Amino acid sequence: MAASGIDDAALTGGAIAPPVRRGRRISGSYLLRRVLLAIQSFLVTLVIGFIVFSLVPSDPAQALSRAQVVTAQQMADLRKDLGLDQPIIVRFFRFLGHTFTGNFGYSWEFRQSVGSLIASAIGPTLLLMGSATLISVLLGLWLGVRSGWKPGSKFDRFFTGTAVTLWSVPTFWLGMMLLVVFSVGVGPLPRLFPAGGMSDPTIDPHGLTHILDVAHHLVLPCLTLVAVTFAQNLMIMRSSLVDELGNAYLTTARAKGLRDAEVRQRHAVPNAMLPAITVIFLQIGGLVGGAIVTETVFSWPGLGLLVYNGIKIPDLPLLEGTFVIFSGSVIVFNLLADLLYRVLDPRVKG
Amino acid sequence: MTGSGRRLARRVGAAAVSAFLVAGLALFGQAPAASADSGSTLIVQGDSFKSNFNPWTSYSSGDKDIITNIYPSLTYLDEKQKPAPYLADSWTTSSDGLTWTFKIHPDLKWSDGQPLTAKDAAWTFNLIMTNKTAATSNGALITQFDSVKATDDTTLVIKTKVPVADMLFINASGGSQPGIPIVPRHIWEKHVKDLGADSNLVIPTVGYGPWTLTDYKANQYATLTANKDFFLGGPKYDKLIYQQYNTPDAAVAALRSGQLNRAGITAAQRASLQDDKDITTYSVLGDLFLSIEINRGATTKSGKPIGTGNPLLKDPKIRQAINLGIDRDTLVKKVLDGQGVASGAFLPQQYTDDWQPKEKITFDPAKANQILDDAGYPKGADGYRTDPKTGKELSFRLGTHSDSAQDAQVAEYFVPWMKNIGIKISLEPMSFSLLNENLAKADWDMLFDRWGPGPNPTYLLSTQTCGTLPDDDGQNGNTDSFYCNPEFDKLFALQSTQVDAQKRMDTIHQMLQILYTDGNNLILFYANALSGVTTNQTKNYMIGTADSAGNYPPQSIFLSWRSAEPVGGAGSSTNVWLIIGIIVAVVVVVGGAGTVLVLRKRSTADAKE
Repeated sequence: MAASGIDDAALTGGAIAPPVRRGRRISGSYLLRRVLLAIQSFLVTLVIGFIVFSLVPSDPAQALSRAQVVTAQQMADLRKDLGLDQPIIVRFFRFLGHTFTGNFGYSWEFRQSVGSLIASAIGPTLLLMGSATLISVLLGLWLGVRSGWKPGSKFDRFFTGTAVTLWSVPTFWLGMMLLVVFSVGVGPLPRLFPAGGMSDPTIDPHGLTHILDVAHHLVLPCLTLVAVTFAQNLMIMRSSLVDELGNAYLTTARAKGLRDAEVRQRHAVPNAMLPAITVIFLQIGGLVGGAIVTETVFSWPGLGLLVYNGIKIPDLPLLEGTFVIFSGSVIVFNLLADLLYRVLDPRVKG
Repeated sequence: MTGSGRRLARRVGAAAVSAFLVAGLALFGQAPAASADSGSTLIVQGDSFKSNFNPWTSYSSGDKDIITNIYPSLTYLDEKQKPAPYLADSWTTSSDGLTWTFKIHPDLKWSDGQPLTAKDAAWTFNLIMTNKTAATSNGALITQFDSVKATDDTTLVIKTKVPVADMLFINASGGSQPGIPIVPRHIWEKHVKDLGADSNLVIPTVGYGPWTLTDYKANQYATLTANKDFFLGGPKYDKLIYQQYNTPDAAVAALRSGQLNRAGITAAQRASLQDDKDITTYSVLGDLFLSIEINRGATTKSGKPIGTGNPLLKDPKIRQAINLGIDRDTLVKKVLDGQGVASGAFLPQQYTDDWQPKEKITFDPAKANQILDDAGYPKGADGYRTDPKTGKELSFRLGTHSDSAQDAQVAEYFVPWMKNIGIKISLEPMSFSLLNENLAKADWDMLFDRWGPGPNPTYLLSTQTCGTLPDDDGQNGNTDSFYCNPEFDKLFALQSTQVDAQKRMDTIHQMLQILYTDGNNLILFYANALSGVTTNQTKNYMIGTADSAGNYPPQSIFLSWRSAEPVGGAGSSTNVWLIIGIIVAVVVVVGGAGTVLVLRKRSTADAKE
């Protein structure tokens, strides 16, 4: 039973505390310190990112004009237009300038500003990653709570085993399997979902019809992402809850006459949530990073697919721009997680 | 409302939303497939388009596929891949070959109703000749143009500095390398200053052709609407959609489920589609060769050695032995599943009157061993040969494209074949970028290479001329394999001025023989282009008739998309399984919600008791 492992030390420790203290405030100096640290991380990331991309072997002029009839003079002009003739330090400051103005330079391959490319791709990515993360978090936490509350039960063994198995499956493989089963149909099972893209070009791109069409296209990539990610939420929640099981405050709660479900939901889960919050915020921070593999398999026109398309040349301004967005997002949500943690957990001091 | 009451309400609400979503999604699941939905929409797999439909600056083949269908050219490639009249009804050439006079088809109008005349063509050519940005895409094709004038609305006169043999090819729509598009002057003359920044994404695009670009979503699809009045014959379909699929497997899944009407496929996919009664697979003679380039002593323009190529490959005996040690027929059979043509020719047979080298290419490892023995490269105990002068093994690097399964498959055969004749091969898989970078610096011994020249070989042949070598500082080169042979260069210059097609072909044959004999680029095979078409929905897609081996002649999207027509009566059938699925899903969700409701009520009642 869940409450069987109570030790005396815990009892005498007087751990009857309410699960979470709310309403704590973040001091101005703490906030400033964390923000400055985040800015510092971001700047260091920019420098490292630029250096790494500069080391990538590439002759974009040749790659771009491959199979294209060009003269030697045109090649030289193209290299000049792309800024490849400039010293690396000049290119670095140009990169910084582009980053802080928010247009991120000009894509070599798409001949558009990277900012506009990102703007057009970020919506689909947020839709896919947002819905997948939301479902993954809710499903993972719910299963984690139930598994962790009764560790070793059939429920726990089944869902933990399933989650870890799916976590271990290569994403592209799972995506392809779902495509074959649900897009083509197997045996008596007919095709249920589209094989790729975000919408059907033959359907009017407005109104409820369009919304349902997008939702229809969303199912398989979303399912793929949920299947391979919900395990981390389940596992963190489960292990966190198992850690809480032996604590005295749960016994106290039971002694007050609360039902088992109430003890779990009102006392154990809020305390066990703290580690899960960090994981969830990291996931949210990674949202805009998209899922390169999933977006590629399902031809989902998000940032992941944009990166995939930019790699071959390689389209350095595009890769640098998306890198800034990805890393910036992770840093911002890390910062938010830090701040929220301080609000939620009284043990964390600024 | 109590806490448990709120929970119940939430659960019931969630159940209702779920039921609605499941029903909605499932209803969309029965949305008819591809062409069936709109009756006359042809949906084809789009090559990767990069959001740049600017006819002046576009580089990508996916963008050019669209451009060639929405802007006209003077000629187009017919089903035999020969230039045929398009905007130009006819043409004449002066006796010195320096003046071309084109008669432009009268009474044509751009899609916005403005007249399309020879003046639009003259303005287009002149802008390419005078504006560096406008020359980005096609400027290299007309470097020999001297002047272009429209003497009236239907007469275009092009004067050239030297005779231009491929005048009709460089102006041809369709084909793997579409020619120069003519654009509406009244639209583009307002944008001359910002040509480079214009991606031409204003929909619908003003142009003229069998199709008009009417919708576009980046990285998703481009929709073209048929110009039924197109004077060469309007398309049978009302709409053509290029839809992007980023993996071949996803495209084939879409083809099998009828969401695509046409997709490019691999040999393995072709085999798996054989039993699908709704899909017909086609094999088209390809013009894309796979070869192994050999660094036979790279130099700069001035003759200064460059790079780290193994000097042993300068020895023609070694190159000859390598060539004899390759079993091309086996590669076609095993790697291409028989869907290709084994060849040692630098250009595909369908464009060179079936030219083949004088000495028939054979797989003869015994002869290869004999040649190396006679050349004084003895085999050691480990089976590999050494060069007695330096004491070094005959060991060479072979650069492969790390993302190419075909390179890896060929290498699996090539390495043991070379071992069989005493040559050690070290594979060096590289990214596309790194391989290109190494190529330019001549830091390689052998590389896998691919080229598809199309019916006009001028550009591909130019990559083998001395003028493409880099300067002494390693810059400004555009060479393919550091090949340089003055005799070849003379013939190249000659063919580019031979307006007489037969004389030009004779010269090209001589050039092919030189390349074959010098052995700097060992052509292995030409892979057929494979495609799958939903022939239960679409007919008349293929142009021409198949040969005895079942291979069709090269296809042109300018012709195929116009020729294709919907199969009469093809439509969606009501999907019984989906309807059953909807009912089951709704019953399960609503039933589940009801059960939860009842159980919760009972539980609450127990607690109260």
